[in-house]
Amino acid sequence: MKTEIVVALAGNPNAGKTTIFNELTGSRQHVGNYPGVTVECKEGFRRHAGADLRIVDLPGTYSLTAYSEEELVARNFLIDEKPDVVVDILDASNLERNLYLAVQLIELGVPLVLAFNMSDVARARGYEFDLPKLERFFGAVIVETTGNKGDGMTALLDAAVRVARSGPRADFRAPAVVYGKVIEEEIARIAPLVEKAGLFAGKYDPRWTAIKLLESDRELRKEVLSLEVIDQLEKSAVRIQKMLGEPPETAIAGDRYGFISGACQEAVRSTIEIRHTTSDQIDAVVTHPVFGIPIFLGLMYLVFHLTFTIGAPPMDWIEMFFGWLGGGIGAVWPEGRARLLQSLLVDGIIGGVGGVVVFLPNILLLFLAIAVLEYTGYMARAAFLMDNVMHKIGLHGKSFIPMLIGFGCTVPAILATRTLDNRRDRLTTMLVLPLISCGARLTIYALVIPAFFPQAWQAPMLWIIYVIGILLAVAGAKLLRRTIFKGESVPFVMELPPYRMPTLKAVLIYMWDLGWQYLKKAGTVILGISILLWALSSFPALPESEAARFRAARQEAASARMTGAERVDWIAGIDNEEAKAALLNSYAGRIGKGMEPALEPMGFDWRIGIALIGAFAAKEVFVAQMGIVHAVGEADEESESLREKLRQAYSPLVGFCVMVFCLIAAPCSATVAVTAREGGSWKWGLLQLGGLTSLGYVLTVIVYQVGRFLGIGAG
Amino acid sequence: MRNALTASLEDYLEAIFQIIEEKQAVRAKDIARRLGVSNPSVTGALRSLAEKELVAYAPYDVISLTPRGKAAARDVVRRHEVLRDFFVNVLAVEESAADEAACRMEHSIPKVILERFIRFAEFVEVCPRGGEKWIRDFGARCGQGATREDCERCIESVLEEVRHRKRRESRKAFPTAKLNELKPGQKGKVLKVNFHEGGGRKISEMGVSPGAVVEIERVSPMGEPIDIKVKGYHLSLRREEAEEVEIETL
Repeated sequence: MKTEIVVALAGNPNAGKTTIFNELTGSRQHVGNYPGVTVECKEGFRRHAGADLRIVDLPGTYSLTAYSEEELVARNFLIDEKPDVVVDILDASNLERNLYLAVQLIELGVPLVLAFNMSDVARARGYEFDLPKLERFFGAVIVETTGNKGDGMTALLDAAVRVARSGPRADFRAPAVVYGKVIEEEIARIAPLVEKAGLFAGKYDPRWTAIKLLESDRELRKEVLSLEVIDQLEKSAVRIQKMLGEPPETAIAGDRYGFISGACQEAVRSTIEIRHTTSDQIDAVVTHPVFGIPIFLGLMYLVFHLTFTIGAPPMDWIEMFFGWLGGGIGAVWPEGRARLLQSLLVDGIIGGVGGVVVFLPNILLLFLAIAVLEYTGYMARAAFLMDNVMHKIGLHGKSFIPMLIGFGCTVPAILATRTLDNRRDRLTTMLVLPLISCGARLTIYALVIPAFFPQAWQAPMLWIIYVIGILLAVAGAKLLRRTIFKGESVPFVMELPPYRMPTLKAVLIYMWDLGWQYLKKAGTVILGISILLWALSSFPALPESEAARFRAARQEAASARMTGAERVDWIAGIDNEEAKAALLNSYAGRIGKGMEPALEPMGFDWRIGIALIGAFAAKEVFVAQMGIVHAVGEADEESESLREKLRQAYSPLVGFCVMVFCLIAAPCSATVAVTAREGGSWKWGLLQLGGLTSLGYVLTVIVYQVGRFLGIGAG
Repeated sequence: MRNALTASLEDYLEAIFQIIEEKQAVRAKDIARRLGVSNPSVTGALRSLAEKELVAYAPYDVISLTPRGKAAARDVVRRHEVLRDFFVNVLAVEESAADEAACRMEHSIPKVILERFIRFAEFVEVCPRGGEKWIRDFGARCGQGATREDCERCIESVLEEVRHRKRRESRKAFPTAKLNELKPGQKGKVLKVNFHEGGGRKISEMGVSPGAVVEIERVSPMGEPIDIKVKGYHLSLRREEAEEVEIETL
């Protein structure tokens, strides 16, 4: 006997599958790695009745037609991994639609246990189930559960272990799902041809294959090479269309529902008729023709506020802690020994780790909010409200939330695209998200705008920059949908699940999972890039002769006769000069200088070039680097002395071009890393980096050259 | 002119007509495959059809039907369908067998008899003394053998049915509409879901399949999408998808 039993949890979205999975496995779970990494299956472990259970949480699906990636992952798991038992979790208060997946599982012939979840809700709605009759109908053990209270879990595990060990009860025979006469005739024509051609022999049953082929299952169809089968399929589709007046896909779905209605009519009784549930009453308010959108915008403001305002103090603490840690190490470090190692530790590693961890409060808070929106059912309403607007730009209603979060920080915004079910929608949103001006870019605008523009022009300038970003994101999304993400438009057929109270456990697990994944997967990449950028700006060190010159200058300052304040200023000036010389001498400085010919058409000099290299680590670094190359020390965006230097060195046109370029080009390394990670391939991260950088370059060159030609802001 | 066509040439004409309906363009290869004959015999047949000016055909060119050819083909197809429908709907013959018999009979049945045949089939379906139910009873009787005691009750029920139908007709039949034309609060019964690039399947998999009752709950403040209630739960659809669903308003 096998010691480990593999249990697959299947079920519709919103049927309470995740809650049951959490209930069954507790904290003993991790994200499993299965082919098609973008859709994740979680795994958990549990001991029950002397057996070790490996419980796999399949993606929630409504069907197994390989219509979406989730369906394909779920189906491939069932077929390739052959789990010992499949537990289908059904929302008993919405039985008919939930049984649609169950019927497909029955057709697939897997050992099945049906969990009638939310049975308390179903009972409150007045449903009475004749369970023995239903068990006979569907040929599967049925267990009633209430996931959010943890009821029925032992019975569910008992049933799963029993079915896994001894197969279905002898008196249960899986029912034959019989289709209408016309469809059955066509199945009878196709199945023998499938068998003759040896299609999927040993993998799928010929009848099942025939049904799926008739349903135009894309995954199966592309493997069918037999002309005879293809020919028959064409003929069958035409005949069904002619006889039934509808294509085979819808006819087959209709017949499955017919089968389900038949069973439900006999075994399910509805004792009371409730016209309007609490859920309907909530909907009457939150999707109200007048108040719906203000309520939505208010909630979005709350999410934004929670993420970035409440998140700000912990972010400051984290920054302070890492600053203190770096400073502490600097203080106890033996004077003058192994300076390079000290710099690596303080500026490279601690700075890098700090740069990763600093996002964590944002990410955790954002996902707390998203988990609540998602688990209560409001997310679907948000999509319902915003879909019309988003659809016009070629996106899904659910893309709205990531776009909004993007104004705060692009990294959590990309993680937030997880709520999008369709891969094409998700990738499109991810790729254009950096065009939404994030908080870090605001520091660049805040430095540049007051430096070049009079008071009256400052607010409109900022507005123009934000609008340019939004318009480009819209255009970019449209372009992507017309080019690489072209394809049949995905219907917006979305369930509006009843409102539910989320369990604290589920919300916390959701939050924790994402935070952990961010730290583990994206964090390591971001850390690596930070250290690389540190190395670029630290090596090679200033030659000894140069360093000696600055030492001598400092000594001279120390011995000169002057007041204390003057001395401090003088020494600071020397320090700034040395920092500038060191940066110029480093690889980053050399690359910046080397880039100058390429930057020239945009009106940029090598100093901006060096700062742009820093901006790739994180956008706000641009400001600090500009401070160093202009020898005013580590400046921030409020630095008037740096603004003075900028006014001397550049025209307002160049200032504007810097903002345009920073807005569009080269999303920060964290964004690229997270896009690569969430997109499932480095291809997407690099496409985003390359695409946006080229776009930014071209547009900035146009702006600069046209501006100069017309003489706008060139003075 | 029709008399000059052999049964086999009629088959060719029918095949060309059907392939054009399905795929727009016809190649000799398609005809050969559909009829299960060799390429040279297709060429031969095409040549004699071209001689009779029913088909525009030149070697290696696209084959098309002349207006006269189209009329002749339509005639053959119609004869086939009338016969097959009669066999299936009235005689309760199994569909594939009906198709085969129709294939063989369509060439020999004279036009006059065919016309009478059609009128008879219509009459049987419409006449209260006959009607669909009567035909169904015939199908059942073919399977089970005779029962006589129900005759009286049957005739009574027929009379009832005639009165019922009269009443219903005076009340005006349920109008059909597209789902997107309904207003919030209106209900409808799904008649069919049109195929729309995979969207049709998704919609019917979510429970909007023929026979299901749907109710428009509300429309998004932006005018789209719409929220419908089906099988006891709420589903959101864009108007372009709702347009694919034909319903009977209730």
